[in-house]
Amino acid sequence: MSKHNHPFHLVDYSPWPLTGSIGALTLVSGMVMWFHKNNISMFMLGVTILLLTMFQWWRDIVREGTFQGKHTFKVVNGLKLGMILFIISEVLFFVSFFWAFFHSSLSPSIEIGMLWPPMGISTFNPMQIPLLNTMILLCSGITITWSHHAMMEKNFSQTTQGLIFTVTLGIYFTILQGYEYYEAMFSISDSVYGSCFFMATGFHGIHVIIGTTFILMCLIRHMKYHFSNKHHFGFEAAAWYWHFVDVVWLFLYITIYWWGS
Amino acid sequence: MACLARNALLVARKSLPRCATQFSSMPDPIEHATGLEKRELLAKVAGNDNPFDLLVLKRGPGTKENPNQVPSAFDSRILGCVCEEDATAVNWMWLHQGAPKRCGCGHWFQLTYKAPV
Repeated sequence: MSKHNHPFHLVDYSPWPLTGSIGALTLVSGMVMWFHKNNISMFMLGVTILLLTMFQWWRDIVREGTFQGKHTFKVVNGLKLGMILFIISEVLFFVSFFWAFFHSSLSPSIEIGMLWPPMGISTFNPMQIPLLNTMILLCSGITITWSHHAMMEKNFSQTTQGLIFTVTLGIYFTILQGYEYYEAMFSISDSVYGSCFFMATGFHGIHVIIGTTFILMCLIRHMKYHFSNKHHFGFEAAAWYWHFVDVVWLFLYITIYWWGS
Repeated sequence: MACLARNALLVARKSLPRCATQFSSMPDPIEHATGLEKRELLAKVAGNDNPFDLLVLKRGPGTKENPNQVPSAFDSRILGCVCEEDATAVNWMWLHQGAPKRCGCGHWFQLTYKAPV
């Protein structure tokens, strides 16, 4: 350390990539078992392994960045590029679902009655809960920006408030989506409409839950004084991710809920 | 009544800046930082924007008597010489502490000790 004359973070050996891989394998095998044998025990084991891995891996990164001061300008720049590339890959992930949707909806095949939505599918009214959800996510984009500006101006309490509002709006969105799913007149096995709808909105919902957790972690770290007004990349990454989730919803709302109904 | 309302507005406006400073309890970035991150920030405050010598060094005369000084906190470092102005490849070599070293193109280099950040 005394001879440390470079800004790069040479990481220590870590077991988390290995446990994460084992968790992912268990999770996917567990899903196969769930779908074919109707037994969720292996799936839950995979979820547990993954949650433990995620918690401990990110705990290590918080220790390295906040408590050991390993995150120099160069390192933070690398983290920024990594987050940007990750979000681009996520965008392309969602492009594939929109591709499936447009492929099926722009020229509906004979099997679904040459109609969109397909024959016999009663869709959601886009002016009811989906419109409310759009407003919730747009509002949460405002509250997280408010929180970020408060942080840059060293305003501790307004940062906290903005984060609490954002997390609350995220949870409210998830509850409403859960209610919509419960009330749905069609299932994932009801024609290509159900497949596209639940694949796209389901993955979006999972991303909202992940984003809400990410922002909740930022709230907890903020309460523990992990952030300064100049160095708070964890917060910025969470905000980028949240905006990405927000934009995906706008596309889902406009194409699948509104135009597609 | 209108006067009262205006007074209320004025009072509200006056109390605004006080509110903004009242809740300022976020830490100072340098006070908050630790380890290498803090040393990098302190170097910046001291006017050193290049504490890790990551920028390309401009070559001097580079004669045997007056070699180019290459800073390092280690006993040796890898050096890349752009032998000519429009060279398309960098000539990489090890530079060790002690006697100056000559690149194939004729330029001389010497390692000088520099305290780590």
